[in-house]
Amino acid sequence: MTTPANPPPLPTAPPPVTGLGSPQDVPPLPGSFPVDPGTLPEPIRDELQAPDPVALDTTASELRDGLNRCPKCGSTDIRLKLGSDLLVCQYCRNEWHGTRVEEAFGLGEGLDQLRGTVIASGARDIQADTASLMSFRCTGCGAEVTINTESTMTARCHWCRHVFGINEQIANGAVPDAVLPFHIRKDDAVARIRQFVDKRRLFALKAFKDQFTPENVVGVYLPYMIVDGNVSASIAGKGEVQTRQYTRGTDKNKRTYYDADVYQVDRHVDFTVDDLPLESSEQRGNLDVQANTNNIINAILPFDTKNALKWNASYLAGFTSEKRDLDVERMRPRLEDQLLSIARAQVAGSVRRYDRGVRWEQEGLEVHGTRWVSMYLPVWLYSYHQPGRNGGMLHYIAVNGRTGETMGSVPVQQWKLLLAALATGTVLEALALWIVVATS
Amino acid sequence: MSDESGLWILLAGPAGASALYWALYRYYRNTDKSHAFEQDTTVKAAPVTGEDRKIDTVRGTQERRIRGDNVGAWRARVSRLR
Repeated sequence: MTTPANPPPLPTAPPPVTGLGSPQDVPPLPGSFPVDPGTLPEPIRDELQAPDPVALDTTASELRDGLNRCPKCGSTDIRLKLGSDLLVCQYCRNEWHGTRVEEAFGLGEGLDQLRGTVIASGARDIQADTASLMSFRCTGCGAEVTINTESTMTARCHWCRHVFGINEQIANGAVPDAVLPFHIRKDDAVARIRQFVDKRRLFALKAFKDQFTPENVVGVYLPYMIVDGNVSASIAGKGEVQTRQYTRGTDKNKRTYYDADVYQVDRHVDFTVDDLPLESSEQRGNLDVQANTNNIINAILPFDTKNALKWNASYLAGFTSEKRDLDVERMRPRLEDQLLSIARAQVAGSVRRYDRGVRWEQEGLEVHGTRWVSMYLPVWLYSYHQPGRNGGMLHYIAVNGRTGETMGSVPVQQWKLLLAALATGTVLEALALWIVVATS
Repeated sequence: MSDESGLWILLAGPAGASALYWALYRYYRNTDKSHAFEQDTTVKAAPVTGEDRKIDTVRGTQERRIRGDNVGAWRARVSRLR
């Protein structure tokens, strides 16, 4: 069979548009312009034909084939040196440091100049049809190696022992822009969890205490969006200042009365936030304490995200990971909610003169610009499943993999807790009765 | 001691029991904990601007605070200006 000498002709461009367009019109083809730029003056032509800016491209093209090689000996057996941000080659013991994204992509600068929505390449929208199972052809021996990106980012070729990592930013949300490696070792995390539970043994569920094995803790990289923002907020409400306090009535019916001035209070504040972390997994972002204990993992935030390193799957060797499943647009309501909370906290200092308090009635937020960077953050997670209604409750004890901050949910033995409360109540009531009898 | 204050003290039992229950429950389950992003996040704010207009006076109220005081409840959303 012979291949045709020429490719089939491209479809002809649509006829030039006459008159003004409107949002109801079918939008033009991407990259097309109604007028031939060649007929336009040079400055306009240059502007039209200049390349579109890529907002923040964090792809690591040198790692595209999935092999992270030691720069010294070329081995692929690379791991994180725990307690540091160094990568160490298991073959020649060469150690090297990754690039910090903060400096490499200027993430800490120009926050007050942020306009629009800047999305780093690892935080782009997830395409529904992208599989989470990825297969590689091993460049060492040609075998097929499959990695399930739901939980792991590295794998070893069974045949030639090459280690693979997923470094290409595929559109399934598995590869973030940056990663913050574990600093806290496993034995340290175990000790912290043990200490946390030892302080909560008396009323803990018996089954939990019997099955307590903190050695089963797992190191997980959880997906977060680290958001910078440049916003203005306006808040309005009523405030009251006390002008007079007086009592009326006789001995028994003494009542205190207050007079106050009521003010209409308007406040406006412009601010920037730097590195606000948001859970980018739908399940982890659900902080309903009736249904789950994800608030425990939320409570060990923040991380030192300024030290995050450019993505390299070798940091994840030996750990599991969870995949991001939320896009920027779906996380925006939660971001705005948190920005409004920050704005309210910011203006609280300016209304201290209202000694009878302020009732905020309206609040508004104008988001000038945001920057979204996706990151894997390290968490040591111990879990215990308490059986019960609606599938029971999964209790977590979480240790921040960088700072060691520990928080947890220890299931309680309800009858013990009720008994203790009732006993205390009875003692107090007996005391109260004694006082009543003694004074009457 | 008057009769009224004598009856009031009988509430000490139930109040103490439920206070202890909730205090211990929260100590074990930590359901009230979450990330204090208002304090933990680096926020650079321009000075707060705004205005205060006296619109009314209240005389002889027995309430110690303004009704619906939410100056410290940062996370409770109020109606949104668009």
